[in-house]
Amino acid sequence: MSAPAHMSSRGWWPTALVILGGFAFAWLIMQQDLWASVLGQLFPGARSPVYPVPLVDLTLQHLALVGISSGLTILVGIPLGIWVTRASGRDFRDIVAAGVDFGQTFPPIAVLAIMMPILGFGLRPAVVALFLYGLFPVVSNTVAGLEAVPEALKDAARGMGMKRLQILGRVELPLAARIIMAGVRTSVIVNIGTATVAAAVGAGGLGDPIIGGIQVQNLAYVLEGALVAALLAILADMTLARAEELVTPRGLG
Amino acid sequence: MGWMPPSLRVTGSPRKALSNRQAGQGGAIVRNMTVISGRPARRVDRVAAFGAVVALAGCLLVPFAEFRANRIVSGAPEPLSSAGTAGWLLLALAVAAFGLSVAFRPAWRGRGILILGAGLVALMPWALGFAAVSLLIGAGSPARVSIGSGAWLVMLGGAIIWFAGARGLGRSRLKPVLAVAVIGLWVSSAVFGGVPELSLAREYAVQSTRFWGLVREHLMLSGLGLAFGTLIGVPLGALASRNNLVRSATLSVVGVIQTVPSLALLGLLVFPLAAVGLPGIGTLPATIALTLYALLPIVRNTYVGLAGVDEGALDAGRGMGMSKAQLLLRVEAPLALPLVLEGVRAAAVLVIGIAAVTAFVGAGGLGILVFQGWGQQADDLTLLGALPMVALALFADLAIRGVASVAVSPGIRQEEVAR
Amino acid sequence: MIRLDNVVKRYGDTTAVDGVSFEVPTGEVCVLIGPSGCGKTTTLRMINRLIEPSGGTIEVDGRDIMSARPEELRRHIGYVIQSVGLFPHLTVADNIATVPRLLGWKDERIKPRIGELLELVGLDPDEYAGKYPRQLSGGEAQRIGVARALAADPPVLLMDEPFGAVDPLNRGHLQGEFARIQRELKKTVIFVTHDVDEAIRLADRIALMRDGRLQQYDTPEALLDHPANKFVHDFMGADRALKRLGRVLVGDAMRTDIEVARILDAGDIDRDACGDARFVYLVDGNGLLRGWVDCHDLDEGRSIDDAVTEIDWREASVAPDISLKDALSTMIGLGFRSIPVTESGTLVGSITLSSIEATMTSSDSHITQLSGETLSSEEPS
Ligand SMILES: Nc1ncnc2c1ncn2[C@@H]1O[C@H](COP(=O)(O)OP(=O)(O)OP(=O)(O)O)[C@@H](O)[C@H]1O
Ligand SMILES: [Mg+2]
Repeated sequence: MSAPAHMSSRGWWPTALVILGGFAFAWLIMQQDLWASVLGQLFPGARSPVYPVPLVDLTLQHLALVGISSGLTILVGIPLGIWVTRASGRDFRDIVAAGVDFGQTFPPIAVLAIMMPILGFGLRPAVVALFLYGLFPVVSNTVAGLEAVPEALKDAARGMGMKRLQILGRVELPLAARIIMAGVRTSVIVNIGTATVAAAVGAGGLGDPIIGGIQVQNLAYVLEGALVAALLAILADMTLARAEELVTPRGLG
Repeated sequence: MGWMPPSLRVTGSPRKALSNRQAGQGGAIVRNMTVISGRPARRVDRVAAFGAVVALAGCLLVPFAEFRANRIVSGAPEPLSSAGTAGWLLLALAVAAFGLSVAFRPAWRGRGILILGAGLVALMPWALGFAAVSLLIGAGSPARVSIGSGAWLVMLGGAIIWFAGARGLGRSRLKPVLAVAVIGLWVSSAVFGGVPELSLAREYAVQSTRFWGLVREHLMLSGLGLAFGTLIGVPLGALASRNNLVRSATLSVVGVIQTVPSLALLGLLVFPLAAVGLPGIGTLPATIALTLYALLPIVRNTYVGLAGVDEGALDAGRGMGMSKAQLLLRVEAPLALPLVLEGVRAAAVLVIGIAAVTAFVGAGGLGILVFQGWGQQADDLTLLGALPMVALALFADLAIRGVASVAVSPGIRQEEVAR
Repeated sequence: MIRLDNVVKRYGDTTAVDGVSFEVPTGEVCVLIGPSGCGKTTTLRMINRLIEPSGGTIEVDGRDIMSARPEELRRHIGYVIQSVGLFPHLTVADNIATVPRLLGWKDERIKPRIGELLELVGLDPDEYAGKYPRQLSGGEAQRIGVARALAADPPVLLMDEPFGAVDPLNRGHLQGEFARIQRELKKTVIFVTHDVDEAIRLADRIALMRDGRLQQYDTPEALLDHPANKFVHDFMGADRALKRLGRVLVGDAMRTDIEVARILDAGDIDRDACGDARFVYLVDGNGLLRGWVDCHDLDEGRSIDDAVTEIDWREASVAPDISLKDALSTMIGLGFRSIPVTESGTLVGSITLSSIEATMTSSDSHITQLSGETLSSEEPS
């Protein structure tokens, strides 16, 4: 489909806006006292208005969990997607495509839940579950993006005497970059969401105050965690959307 | 303004791209390339060989089952041999599959691989049942035997081998026959075999009345979210295709909602609801959240579906004297239907997953079993919540695809749409 | 009858159609032609109100089009577009039945109508009724598009480059088919095209437009022989004598009184057919063209094998429904001075260079007149 004109905006200001948003967010989560006083006024009845673990720590835990799992996802998923579209891996293309398709119908929580009996409690199963679940959109979009590159272009590249790796690097990947990046974005956003729930298996992060707040019936905790988690996800989404535009070669989009 | 929600990737379009390749035009390209590169058909079926290696690893390297003295304590690993003859049979099937996949001429191996793969999958519950029965002899009644990672791996390997065989075989009457046979063996193992002795089955036996109530709740919550999402999303998507302002507003708002973690959204919903005196906990916020999450795929696909209707068909319709309503009903709606249904399918799968999270705000559903299982560190309880959830999602996926295959005109099935 | 009176269409500052007036008598084909962007489509679409005119009046069969609801109007005007616009989700039969259903016809009436129309456009109803558009070739789809437009038997037909997307060979066929159907049905047609040859072949009158203005509205002969200005002259092209041949069908110009030799059962041919002529065509027992016989050779006592030249009618004959121009082109291509005319292989006549010459000299007065003409006339302002 034709993208709306503003999606391909290439000015510096959208990037500046995203960076500014990042700084604002960082500032916000460091104002522990500000949170305490505002939440204290909103919930005068609460025993303690802010969650005992500082917001910065919760956010960093969250980011670490998502960062590690999504990093692994990208490191494994993109090469896997590339491999199954090469001659050497084409045998596996169909099974990988079918598996990825099948995996995407799994509820993310179910993946987390199934990892638990195998890997125990805590950070480890969370990272593995997020990594696995994040693979699906990345692999699927990598394959789709590479296969969407017109055969004629690859032929033209071959005709110009490019070697296979050159065709991949100079023709296929640049043309598929946007779709691959969209897969990464979907994957990271879903991971941020699932990581919130992973607090329930002891992985920490911004889900802690939400789940804890519901358990001890302290709505101030819930608001604190939910607000920051939502902001973090939106900020990450904006950042990755920007990245999606920046990796798109100028001639496209 | 510089960014958009992850909205403009049409749900299912990569999937479409993949499956298009498998069937029809794309296949020709792949074949062509094989010819051009002059590569002969492989002697080794690498996919089946990989499946066999996975199955062998499951047989030999990791515990097949786990024995636990009671429901809570962590288990002791038990090898494949605990399943007795059935275990050895599994090993034999995996070895045979490996042998067939590397050693035989392609013409011979199609059926063989198919049968071996299906066999590995079919035998699994019987083998687990045998293991459970034999390990539980002499153990106390609280003792349990649960499925080990080895069993999961063997099953995964079997499925891969099965897939490889099915792909290599083309159209064959053997395929449905095997599928029925596998289902038959699974069901019979639950009735006549040792499956009821497995810890998951024991857990189910304990929880059975509560379990079905929770399934019903889960279905009701997801159904409500999906129904409201469809009722709101389809008209919204249609409006978006008519009006640019509505389009950019709707897609951005719905896209932002989609990025917010479900747990956070549920947490945030408490406050506006409380402000107007409504319960912030329970079915109401859950239904609202599920509706909101269902919106994105439905709105987006409806919009893309309607916006993508062939200009020529619209012009012809108008030129023949259709009114706006007739044009929508007779031309636009049927042409957009495949994408709309694909949106509903994606929304259904999404909502069934998110419905699990609503258990946190006291809305019930299978999520309750998962979270209680986590709380008590009782793996069986967790799985009793998680596995049926997977089954529901897969079932919804299949059901809506089934509806699509009947409701979508054969003139536009597979192909066309979301260019 | 369709009458346009001083019709104008403006888009902001641009005037797409600028004071166009012409009248198409009932049962005639008017071809709208002109360079890209000259306003042909806009003019056509104003007639069924897919575009609302900014000024002027349009009447269809004596009624101002603005007096009816647009939907009502359109249901009584057939409309065929270049991109065909078949509904991909409906079968061929349902596509054709669209307008009758909108008009509330009963099923008993629609069903036979579908068969009738498919036969009319030369497609087997049993084979095609249940197909979906994606199963059709481009030419077949175009035929269905025409059948669909004719479904409710509208007196008026609007066609916007209906054969624009079809390859030249199929295009010729479709044109022949259209001419045949039009002879049968006598609709009032406005037909938009880019292609001068198509216009000359199909038009009773041609309306030539440029930059939204009508340059000349007259018969093809008049446009060829008396162009109103230099633009018309240039647009119609240099090969006007040849183009005129495009107006004449082979079937109308061929000789039918020809001698043929038959193949006799004994492997011999019936030699009596050779009269004064040097060559006669050879047909088999079913009348199928097989080749020709050199009577001279026979007279000199050569064997039948030597005297007979075998030909394949698919390559070395022409159909009666193609134009003389195309026949001439085939003849030149084959290097023949005369070419047999066959209908699915059955010999029905022949065309010779001299018969083509005769056709040209019958309008020779125009040709001499043209050759001496000085073409400096200004465009009308
Ligand atoms: N909706 C519109 N808005 C503005 N200008 C238009 C619009 N539609 C047509 N035009 C202009 O009006 C002029 C006539 O267009 P029209 O489509 O009638 O041309 P045409 O003769 O059919 O050309 P073609 O042979 O390329 O189909 C063109 O210059 C076109 O740019
Ligand atoms: Mg036009």
